[in-house]
Amino acid sequence: MAPPAQAHRSPSPSQPSGKGEVSDLKSQLRQLAGSRAPGIDDSKRELFKKVISYMTIGIDVSAVFGEMVMCSATSDIVLKKMCYLYVGNYAKVNPDLALLTINFLQRDCKDEDPMIRGLALRSLCSLRVANLVEYLVGPLGLGLKDNNSYVRTVAVIGVLKLYHISAPTCIDADFPPTLKHLMLNDPDPQVVANCLSALQEIWSLEASTSEEASREREALISKPVIYYLLNRIKEFSEWAQCLVLELVAKYVPLDSNEIFDIMNLLEDRLQHANGAVVLSTIKVFLHLTLSMTDVHQQVYERIKAPLLTLVSSGSPEQSYAVLSHLHILVMRAPFIFASDYKHFYCQYNEPSYVKKLKLEMLTAVANESNTYEIVTELCEYAANVDIPIARESIRAVGKIALQQYDVNAIVDRLLQFLEMEKDYVTAEALVLVKDLLRKYPQWSHDCIAVVGSISSQNVQEPKAKAALIWMLGEYSQDMQDAPYILESLTENWEEEPSAEVRLHLLTAVMKCFFKRPPETQKVLGAALAAGLADFHQDVHDRALFYYRLLQYNVSVAERVVNPPKQAVSVFADTQSSEIKDRIFDEFNSLSVVYQKPSYMFTDKDYRGPFEFSDELGNLSIAAESADNVVPAQGVEANDKDLLLSTSEKEEIRGATFNVSGYSAPLYDSSAASVQSELAIISSTSAGSAPSSSLAIDDLLGLGLSAAPAPEPASVPPSLKLNSKAILDPGTFQQKWRQLPISLSQEFSLSPEGVAALTTPQALLWHMQGHSIHCIASGGHSPNFKFFFFAQKAEESSNFLVECIINTSSAKAQVKIKADDQSTSQAFSDVFQSALSKFSV
Amino acid sequence: MLFLKSMPVIASPTHYIFQIVRAGITFLACTQVEMPPLMGIEFLCRVADILSDYLGELNEDLIKDNFVIVYELLDEMIDNGFPLTTEPNILREMIAPPNIVSKMLSVVTGNSSNVSDILPGATASCVPWRPTDVKYANNEVYVDLVEEMDAIINRDGVLVKCEIYGEVQVNCLLSGLPDLTLSFANPSILHDVRFHPCVRFRPWESHQILSFVPPDGQFKLMSYRVKKLKSTPIYVKPQLTSDAGTCRISVMVGIRNDPGKTIDSIILQFQLPPCILSADLTSNHGTVNVLSNKICTWSIGRIPKDKAPSLSGTMVLETGLETLRVFPTFQVEFRIMGVALSGLQIDKLDLQNVPNRLYKGFRAVTRAGEYEVRS
Repeated sequence: MAPPAQAHRSPSPSQPSGKGEVSDLKSQLRQLAGSRAPGIDDSKRELFKKVISYMTIGIDVSAVFGEMVMCSATSDIVLKKMCYLYVGNYAKVNPDLALLTINFLQRDCKDEDPMIRGLALRSLCSLRVANLVEYLVGPLGLGLKDNNSYVRTVAVIGVLKLYHISAPTCIDADFPPTLKHLMLNDPDPQVVANCLSALQEIWSLEASTSEEASREREALISKPVIYYLLNRIKEFSEWAQCLVLELVAKYVPLDSNEIFDIMNLLEDRLQHANGAVVLSTIKVFLHLTLSMTDVHQQVYERIKAPLLTLVSSGSPEQSYAVLSHLHILVMRAPFIFASDYKHFYCQYNEPSYVKKLKLEMLTAVANESNTYEIVTELCEYAANVDIPIARESIRAVGKIALQQYDVNAIVDRLLQFLEMEKDYVTAEALVLVKDLLRKYPQWSHDCIAVVGSISSQNVQEPKAKAALIWMLGEYSQDMQDAPYILESLTENWEEEPSAEVRLHLLTAVMKCFFKRPPETQKVLGAALAAGLADFHQDVHDRALFYYRLLQYNVSVAERVVNPPKQAVSVFADTQSSEIKDRIFDEFNSLSVVYQKPSYMFTDKDYRGPFEFSDELGNLSIAAESADNVVPAQGVEANDKDLLLSTSEKEEIRGATFNVSGYSAPLYDSSAASVQSELAIISSTSAGSAPSSSLAIDDLLGLGLSAAPAPEPASVPPSLKLNSKAILDPGTFQQKWRQLPISLSQEFSLSPEGVAALTTPQALLWHMQGHSIHCIASGGHSPNFKFFFFAQKAEESSNFLVECIINTSSAKAQVKIKADDQSTSQAFSDVFQSALSKFSV
Repeated sequence: MLFLKSMPVIASPTHYIFQIVRAGITFLACTQVEMPPLMGIEFLCRVADILSDYLGELNEDLIKDNFVIVYELLDEMIDNGFPLTTEPNILREMIAPPNIVSKMLSVVTGNSSNVSDILPGATASCVPWRPTDVKYANNEVYVDLVEEMDAIINRDGVLVKCEIYGEVQVNCLLSGLPDLTLSFANPSILHDVRFHPCVRFRPWESHQILSFVPPDGQFKLMSYRVKKLKSTPIYVKPQLTSDAGTCRISVMVGIRNDPGKTIDSIILQFQLPPCILSADLTSNHGTVNVLSNKICTWSIGRIPKDKAPSLSGTMVLETGLETLRVFPTFQVEFRIMGVALSGLQIDKLDLQNVPNRLYKGFRAVTRAGEYEVRS
């Protein structure tokens, strides 16, 4: 319960400043404080209410702190609650005053009423004042042992609060093991759930510094704990069930029997009234069966009905969240939902964001059997009052046309759109007809007849206009007045605002010229002249290019402009499949609602429990600033795997993905290929990496000679490294644990290198040029930490490097681990020489 | 901006905010970490439900007047970001609702605390949804089938989609710890079901019988969907013809399949396309209203025996527009008391552990949900 944050801002002019009222309250409270008259609680309560209401609307009433505390000696529980609320709100900014409250809170913690004990303990822990933690440990310890479950639930959360105020105090008091014991033994399910929630948070944060904590965190997803929780799942509250289910989704069962046991146990959760429970259960099912293709498909069939019910039952907010999840499933396995296409029909008064999702799903599920109905439905939306949706639905028709084999009926529909006399409908339809013609040139005859009748004056949108002009150029031999339309368009060159349209116009005139030279010659001259005079660089350049091409050789020009075209079979998808797979991995999270993976929107510090690993977790992953560009993104994309808890698990995951036929881990390789592309730039020869980078440095005018290496790389290293090395973070982590340190050295850095190392990214780029890839990096000046890897060119033997650089002492401490120990010295030399060349 | 406003999840640079709007009040929750979105949204919905339960309804003034109760409730419902108790019965035992009875009591007895002195027993019991010590002078249980029909009728008058979403709502006023069994005559028509946590899973799985220890008072026992219905109780036939800048509209409404009970509260609503300048609409039954935002409402009520209600009129199009290209969608509302259109029938309700004198009541009602007719 967070009181409004603006409580401490200065009151705005429109609000009463409350100064007079506050001093009034102060004296009244003082009068009441000592009194023991009967009915005094009622008058106190009225005053307290006033204080709290002032506090709620943002008036600073911290001045009456002392009086409030004095009045708190009461047995009335409502008074106590209000007092706790007040104290909790102001203690943080008035630590000195907070000390006053400790006494009465501690006394209340020993009250005989468990409700008061619990409330007092909760308030005590909510003070969040660092120098008061010593007073917390005692009451918390007692609270955890209290015989009333209410007090224990409060105490467990209290431990977590203590951890956030002062982690060492919490650890020193040995609270985490106590919580673990409670979690596995307490009869009250809410206590168990709170323990689980607290332990997840504490151990995840501790894991970065303590081996033991990371082991404990992994133990949470071990078989005994998971089974213990699963067996009690029906006792838990719905929210605790969600928590447990989230945990189960991370568990990797040993064999298929285990998987089926878990699914049988959880099947009835799919019929729970709470949508959050249903969705968490679905996540468990999906994750468990990833490796079993046929069962996975059955799971889709099984979860279909609950999901569709959830969509139609809840409030709009719930519907949308569920719909987003349905959307991702439909996109993954459209064929399973093909018979349910009617569920994705848009209702008139649905908000447009819902309609948009539904349109995408309709497009995805279209197949031979339902296309006719879906397209009929979509065509009705084209006459919708909601213009953006009308546009979307026309685009959807086009997409379906592009993914179907039998487009007969669809083409007719699209052509009908062209005749609808609505400018936006015509515009969208034109763009689609263009795409359609690129894929199905055989339809040109029907389309051209209709397109030819459209007056170019009625088409204003650049995309549509460009499409129309493209068709005029491409099919000028079939369209009677193509040259004349182009002519009138060229005459209005000056008035055409869109460069895209002007570019298309240039090309279309060229094409037309080769098909119907006599009619077009004049226009061509005019278009080229206008193009050459154009202010837009691209237009100007293209005009110049055409001009010189024609000058050089007309038949060559024809081959360039009008080559025989192959029909386009597949249009590039907008959202990459890696991203989709990644979002699927994060099923039942915000990333699904946002349609982007969580690394794209969450703050690194807040990736939630289980996302941090012991060694790499406290490092920010690669670069993060705006200039991090490609390689960093590559690593970013991987960092969930990087941060998965157990290496064994990672291995199993990887394997299961491959078996399942879903290309989930594709992003690994793509990330690596992005990296390697970059690497190629600087080391195309891939021979001796340092020398190639030398060349590049020279090219860029980066005077290498200005940076004499302390230990010059005069001896060319004999080791050849693979510039396209691929290593996913999971494997890296696993190897790093397994391999012994084969070399541990300290290098010194050149002053230029030190100067260049203002951000970790600078070094990443540099090392990449030497075929040494970074997998994680972090730190701020003067201390930086990097994890690198490299692969031998001819065999897949890996080198792993941990490099800690202190720029103030200009030293780099390097630990090298290698698959092949014998070459580690050679690699060390390469690494050192690469490092020594690092400069601005 | 409007788009953002209606999104249930909105983003800020560091925090992610869930919001739901109920009765003009926005409920916000924020997170910095990834989390199941439905957990946030469902929880907010629960908070809204419980507040309106406690305060009788939801509005700004009520919340301001009762802020102490609101604080108390939130304090018990969530701690350090983790939802704790959201079961109304347990909350009710911890924090007494501010009703007239408790106000009366406080005046009479002088004890004005609205917090009970004892901790709720149910927190430890195996049926957390039911208070331990319930007593009624008259034992009654009411079972209502409440159904909503969602349908789309397309431009050609074809029934494209017709589905029923239904709920079994129970109002249970029984003493002690009753154990109820409810069975349906035709459970096979149910396509998908969702249950209140009190329903035991096994009896449903094996015999499609609902066996449960009910919460006290009103609750939603189960919700279900029935797919692919073949017909609707009423028909709506719109006809629009346009020519030379005017458009003639005529809409006929009548009973298609007599459900055996009266169909009442029939209302037709549609938005006139923006290209229509003015409309002159009349009907032979009921009242027609055209609002300034071009939303047109035709309240029919019941369909008379002697004639079919019809609406007709002419509309003037924007200058320069010859024919109408954008057509309105008609949203239909109706209500039929005493019938569950899905055809679901309750077979019987058996009770154990209850006193002999007992009243059982059954009702059914079907409403139009998202029922739309395109033209």
